Amino acid sequence: MSVLTTFRRLRGSVRTSAFEQHMDAELRHHLDLETEALVARGMTPDAARDSARRRFGSVALVKDDCRESWGMRAIDMLAQDVRVALRNLGKYPSYTAVVLLTLALGIGANTAIFSVVHAVLLRPLPYTNGDRLVEVRQQAPKSGVANAGVSVKEINDYRAQTDALDAVVEYHQMSFNMLGRGEASRVQTGVVSANFFDVLGVTPLLGRTFRADDDSKNAPAVLVLSYAYWQHALGGDPGIVGRTFELNDRLHTVVGVLPPIPQFPQSDPPDDVYMPPSACPFRSNPQTIENRNARMLTAIGRLKPGATLERAQNDLAVVMSRLSTEYPDAYNAKNTGFQASALSVHNELTQQARPTLLVLLAVTGFVLLLVAANIANLALARVIGRERELALRSALGAGRGRIARQLLTESTLLAVAGGALGLLVGWLVRDLLVAFTARFTPRAEEIAIDGVVLAFTFGVSVFTGLLFGLLPAFTRRTSASVQDAGHRTVGSRRLGARNALIVAQVAISFMLLVGAGLLVRSFIKLQQVDAGFRTDRVLTALVSLDFVKYATPVVRQTFYRSVLDKVAAEPGVEMAALGITAPLDQAAPFLTGFIVEGQAPDEKAVKRVDFKFASPNYFKTIGMTLLSGRPFTDADDATAPPVVIVNLSMARHNFPDIDPIGRRISLNNGRTWMTIVGLVNDTHDYGLNEKPTDEIYRAFAQTSPLNATLLVRTAADPASFGRRVPALVHDVDARQPVSQIRTLEAIRSHSLAPPRLTAMLVTLFAGVALIITAAGIAGVVSFSVNQRTTEIGVRMALGAPRSSVVRMIVRQGLTPVTLGLACGLAGALLMTRVVARLLFAVEPTDPVTYAAVIATLAAVAALACLVPARRAAAIDPMRALRAE
Amino acid sequence: MKSSKSDLLQGTLDLLILRTLASGDMHGWGISQRLQQISQDVLQVNQGSLYPALYRLEQQGWIESSWGDSENNRRAKFYALTRSGRKQLAEETANWERITAAVARVLQHA
Repeated sequence: MSVLTTFRRLRGSVRTSAFEQHMDAELRHHLDLETEALVARGMTPDAARDSARRRFGSVALVKDDCRESWGMRAIDMLAQDVRVALRNLGKYPSYTAVVLLTLALGIGANTAIFSVVHAVLLRPLPYTNGDRLVEVRQQAPKSGVANAGVSVKEINDYRAQTDALDAVVEYHQMSFNMLGRGEASRVQTGVVSANFFDVLGVTPLLGRTFRADDDSKNAPAVLVLSYAYWQHALGGDPGIVGRTFELNDRLHTVVGVLPPIPQFPQSDPPDDVYMPPSACPFRSNPQTIENRNARMLTAIGRLKPGATLERAQNDLAVVMSRLSTEYPDAYNAKNTGFQASALSVHNELTQQARPTLLVLLAVTGFVLLLVAANIANLALARVIGRERELALRSALGAGRGRIARQLLTESTLLAVAGGALGLLVGWLVRDLLVAFTARFTPRAEEIAIDGVVLAFTFGVSVFTGLLFGLLPAFTRRTSASVQDAGHRTVGSRRLGARNALIVAQVAISFMLLVGAGLLVRSFIKLQQVDAGFRTDRVLTALVSLDFVKYATPVVRQTFYRSVLDKVAAEPGVEMAALGITAPLDQAAPFLTGFIVEGQAPDEKAVKRVDFKFASPNYFKTIGMTLLSGRPFTDADDATAPPVVIVNLSMARHNFPDIDPIGRRISLNNGRTWMTIVGLVNDTHDYGLNEKPTDEIYRAFAQTSPLNATLLVRTAADPASFGRRVPALVHDVDARQPVSQIRTLEAIRSHSLAPPRLTAMLVTLFAGVALIITAAGIAGVVSFSVNQRTTEIGVRMALGAPRSSVVRMIVRQGLTPVTLGLACGLAGALLMTRVVARLLFAVEPTDPVTYAAVIATLAAVAALACLVPARRAAAIDPMRALRAE
Repeated sequence: MKSSKSDLLQGTLDLLILRTLASGDMHGWGISQRLQQISQDVLQVNQGSLYPALYRLEQQGWIESSWGDSENNRRAKFYALTRSGRKQLAEETANWERITAAVARVLQHA
C-alpha cells in the first residue's frame, strides 16, 4: 500500500509541477495560433477551432507522448503495467489462483525453513559473548569416552593455566523439590559459577544474576529463574524478584529472571532455576572439591578477545600434558588417551540440527525451482494463448521491450503476491516449526519472521517472478502478425522450452522422491528394530527424592518399598518395578570402568560398561527375557551379598567362552565384588539406531538411588493410570513430587520423532512435487494435442488407427520425462552424501528406492500423458479437417 | 525507452526540426507552419506529433527552450538549437544525404 502511495505522491508532484502547466500553455498557444490563422483565411471561429484540433490530433495522446518523451513516463508506465497486469490476471482467475497457490506453497516452505536456518545456524548466539564461548571437554578416546566430565580441581587448573581463555565457569544439573506452592514439584536446577551469566554475556530481564558473595559459605540461598519457568510455572509475575520458595529444606530468594535464551549446556528436561555451587551439597562437599577424579561438571571457557579456537586448543593440550605428568594416576593417559579440547558453543548447540536443516533447505529450494518451472510452463501456454492480444498490442505500437516488460510485471506481481501469501504460510507454521526444531536444538525458540527473513522472502519472490516471467517474455516470436497469431502451429522453440521445463520438473521430482523414499525406508527400518523390550501398556514416572530428607539408603529403601507395594496393589496394575531411567529416555549411557575377578586388568583397554538399577520385576514389567540364571528377588537387599544381572552383549564381550553366571565383577577396583546371577537380552536403550551397549543391572534395593523411575505394567490403557500415580506416592509422602509421567510408548515415539518428522516433511514436499509435475506433463501434452488437431485428423483420415495415435502422443509426451528421469538419477546420485547422515540401515543408493521412484514417476507420467492422448484419439478426422 | 534512430519517420522528423531551427529560434506552431510551407504541404504530419519530438530533442540536449513574447504579444515557448544540436544536425544531414543518394542509385540502376 505504502509503495503505491509513494508512487502516487511522486507522480502527483511531477504532475502539478510547472511541467504540466507549461505543456498545457504551449499546446493551447499552438491551437490558438492555428485557429487564428484559419480564421484569417475566412473560416468561422467555430469551424476554425474544430479544424485546428483535427490537424493537431488528440491532445491527450500528445500530452501522453510528451510526458513519455520527457522521461517521466517510467513511473506512469509502471503504474499502467501494474493496472494492465491486474486486469489480465483478473480475467484468468483459475490461472491466477493456481499460480498464487503453488507460489504460496513454494515460497512459504522456503520462508519457513529459512527462518529456522537463520535462527539456528546463521544468527550469532543471543549472548553478548556468544562467538567467544567454548566448551572445555575432556575425553578418553582409548576407553571410548567422548565426554568424561570435568572436576573442580581441573576447572581451577584451566582457569589458572590457559592464556587464550580469560574465564572458565562451571555447570552441572541437580533436581530440587519445591514445596509450599500447591502440590510439591520437581525443579530442574542448573548449578553454575557465580560469574557464569557474566561470562556468557547474559543480562537479566528482571533483578540480577549471581554475585561472588552469593557463593560464600553462609550466604543466604538465592535463585535465578529461567524465562520459560517464570512464564509457565509462575505466570510471568513481574513482582517475582524478592519472593521466596522452599526448595528441599531451605528458603531461597529469587534475585533475578533470565531473558529467553537457548540453554547451554543443554539438558533434558531444561533448567527451571539456577543456583550457585554452594547450594549443591555434592558439589560443595570437600571430597568432591579435593578429588581430581570427581568429574561431575561441564566447563565453559571464554576466549580472550582476538584469541582463536586453535590457540585455546593448544593451551589445553599443554595444560593436559602437564597434568598427566603430575597426576599419572588420575589420567593414565597412555591407556585412556585422556585429552582436553575446546569446542565452539555455537556449534555444540546447533550441530544436531545442521544435517536435517540443510536437507530441508535443499528440499524447499528444489520445490521452489519446480514451482517456478511449472508456473513458467503455465505462463508460456498462456502467452501462446494470448498471441493475438500481444500481436495486436504490438501492431498498435507497443515495442517488443514493452511487451516483455508487461509480461514481467505480471509475473513479478504474481510472485510478490505469492510471496506475501508465503510469508503468511511461514508465519502460520512457526509454532509447528518451533516444536519440530526443538527436537534438535534449544535455539528453536529464537525462530521468528524478522527483517532478514522478510528480505529473504522478498528476494526469493522477485527472483522467482523473474525466473518464470523471463522465459515466456523472451521466447515470444519476433514477428507475430495479427492474422496468423493463435492459428498456426506454434514454432518448435516454444514446445522445446516447455519440454525443457518438463525435464527439469521430472528431474527435481525424482530427486525429492528419492530423498523421501530413502527417509521413509530408513524410518520403517528404524521402527522395525526390536528394542529388546515391550513398550505397550507400560507407564513410567520419575521420582526424585529430597536429598536432605532422604539422606540414607535405609530411608530411601523404605520409601521405595512402600510406593512399589501401593502401586502393585492398585486394581488394573499387573506389576510394578523401579529402575534408574526409562529405556530410550536418555541420550547417552553412563559408562563406568570395572574389572572381572580372575582376569588380569587389560592395560590397553579399560573395560567400560553402562550400569543401571533394576528391582525384581523390572525385566518382566518391560517384557525383557531372562536368558539364564535368576532374576532379582526381594531377598537381594542391602544386607544380602551384592548381585548383578548382565546383558548378552556384556557377556559376549567379557565372557566369550564361559558362562558368566556366578562370576564376580567390581566397579571399585576390587574393594567390593558383585556376583553375576542372571543374563538378560540386549536392549536399545539409547536410541533404536544405536547398537546395544554393554549393561550391568544392579539390584535396586542394594543401591537405593536418589532418583528412580517407576515402571508400571497395566491391564488396560496405561495413560489413564497416570493420574493415579501422584496420589499413590503422596499417600507415602505428601511432599514428594512425581514428574515426567509418560507411557513407554510415548517415550519411544518421542525418540523416533526427529526421523519421523523429517521423513514426513520431505515426503509431503515430494508428493506435492509429484502432483505439480504430473499436472505440468498433462498440460504440455494436451496443449500439443490441441495444436495438432489438424495433423492428427489428417493421420486418422489416412488410416492411422486410434491406438497408434494414442501411442504416438504418449511416446512424445514421455520423451522429456525419460530425459528428466536420467537427469534426476544423476542428480540424486550426486546428492546422496547430503542425505546419508540422516539414514539408518539404508544405503543412499538403495536400489529398491530408486526402482520404486522410477516406477512411480513413469506410471504417473504415463497416466498424465494418457488422458490427453485419449482425447486426441477421439478427434473426429472430418471435423478436424473442416475446422482449418 | 525508444531509440530515436530506430524509426525512420521519427528520425526524419527530428532532422527536419533541427534544420528548421537552424535558421532561427521558433515556437512550436511556427515550426509546424514552416515545415508545411517549405515542403509545399508534402510533409503533412499531425501537428500534435511535433511536440513529443520537441520534448525528446530537448531531453537529448540538442535544442533548448525558453518562454518569451510572440509576434502578437503572447507568451510562447521558443526553441533554439544548441551547439550539440548543430553537430547532430550536420551528422544527420550527411547521413540523410548518403542514404537518399544510395536509395536513388538503387532506384535508377536496379
